Amino acid sequence: MIRTAKREVARRVFSKEFNLSKFKVGGEGEKEAIYVLTPLGLRCNRLFIVGVLLEKEEVKPDSDMWRIRVSDPTGSFLGFVSKFQSEALESLADLNPPEIVAITAKAKLLERGERAIPLIRPEYINASDFETRDYWIVETARATLKRIKAIEKGEDKIVLEKYNPDLEDFRNAVINAINKLKEEQKVLKSEEAEKKEEKEEKEVRKDLGFEIDEEIVDLSDFDIGD
Amino acid sequence: MAEDRFQAIVNEIYERFKGYGVTKKEIENRLKLLLFEFKVPEEEARKTIINGLRKSYNIAKVDLKSPIVKISEIEPKQWVSLKCKVIQLWEPNSPTIAQTGLIGDETGTARFVVWSKANKNKLEEGKSYLFEKVVVDEFMGIKSIKVTSASDIKEISEEIEVKEGGEEVEVIGALVAIQQNSGLLQTCKSCGRVVKAGVCVEHGKVEVNEVLRLRGVLDDGEKTYDLTLKEECVRSLTGIGIKEARKLAEEHLDRSVVLLELKKKLLGRYLRVNGELRFRTLNANKVEFYKPEIIKEVEKTLEEAGA
Repeated sequence: MIRTAKREVARRVFSKEFNLSKFKVGGEGEKEAIYVLTPLGLRCNRLFIVGVLLEKEEVKPDSDMWRIRVSDPTGSFLGFVSKFQSEALESLADLNPPEIVAITAKAKLLERGERAIPLIRPEYINASDFETRDYWIVETARATLKRIKAIEKGEDKIVLEKYNPDLEDFRNAVINAINKLKEEQKVLKSEEAEKKEEKEEKEVRKDLGFEIDEEIVDLSDFDIGD
Repeated sequence: MAEDRFQAIVNEIYERFKGYGVTKKEIENRLKLLLFEFKVPEEEARKTIINGLRKSYNIAKVDLKSPIVKISEIEPKQWVSLKCKVIQLWEPNSPTIAQTGLIGDETGTARFVVWSKANKNKLEEGKSYLFEKVVVDEFMGIKSIKVTSASDIKEISEEIEVKEGGEEVEVIGALVAIQQNSGLLQTCKSCGRVVKAGVCVEHGKVEVNEVLRLRGVLDDGEKTYDLTLKEECVRSLTGIGIKEARKLAEEHLDRSVVLLELKKKLLGRYLRVNGELRFRTLNANKVEFYKPEIIKEVEKTLEEAGA
């Protein structure tokens, strides 16, 4: 298919990093896309997020403009869905917080005087599950570590100049997110093991019950025959 | 300037114009005048002479014999002729395009577009053609050739060996978008375009094929791929094959319900796709939900973090 523009990659970033963004880059000339520049040097125009939809609220009654909040292990993304994101708006109607969702969204930086507010404009929202969310955390952690390493090497002068990020702080956030996931996995494993034991026990009981039932049937058959 | 360089330019121009009765002497004189008296740069002189000859002999730009070249040699803005095989036809996304797809020769592959206005006979997949007087265009680093009304296309019997452009790859990524031209679709029997209400933009009321497929974008956070899943792949992922899709559409008296169902099952999911990659187009042969063992991934990531 011939396309008029190259599709922007959906980047993976934790809300902590994204929400500390203060600058935009690009947008020079008509065709160049605008990117949000994060403190770790990610230039993002589109994001892919799997997290928990915590809130959805109509900004004004009957405005069909919804404010949403979606959390990840480091914080939450603020997002707005309006009639211009018709697909996302439609799916949002069927979702009730709290619910795990996968979102493809445009990354935006709203400038209000001195302040810059990073937010997302979802293109698609779909119900998701824990497994997908877990892998998203892993993937995003890795992408973040890669960015930290690149800055340590001094590859991105602009970022150092504009943000001079506290790399340890970001690294700790990643490690915390991953450790939390690890704990959850352990709990999950032990729960699974318990369930399995329970199930096995039940099966044993069922087997016994079945045999007894059969005997009863046999006996009654015998009675009728008599 | 070296004598052989001078002669090379003369010869190049002569080759292109000899069919119109232009003499070598004429070219030499003009070139001498511009290069040695007026000290015009070489490339400018060459262009000026070509333009001048074209005007004085009244030759349209595109009628100049375009040299036959290989795909690896083409450069944007050139008018060339190519001997190529049509590898794949894609569905045009605009009525101004009659046909589009991929052509190849032994040196590589390129995209091509035949404009509807060019009024050419339909090309067929797997056949080889001589494309004459086509113009080269470049878009996002991908070269494509455009067939206009000035171009000629002739089928040739010569077997052209195509350098395999498609690469067998495995990609793990999230399905971040699903295109509208997915789901249970009706396509025109003659051109393969998606047909709405039985009417093809090109052929009017037509007989249709019913297909189930999915076009979407697979994204690994670094790169995007235009993914196509054929019926078999859609079914292995979702349990919805063409039979199930038809049943769904009948129950709801609406075909679009199939797309809605596919979106619910697939949007935002991680997939592992094995398929053939050409440029950014990934044709899946095998696909499954990607479900790694999280605990192992977690350990690996902690190691990377140096924790």
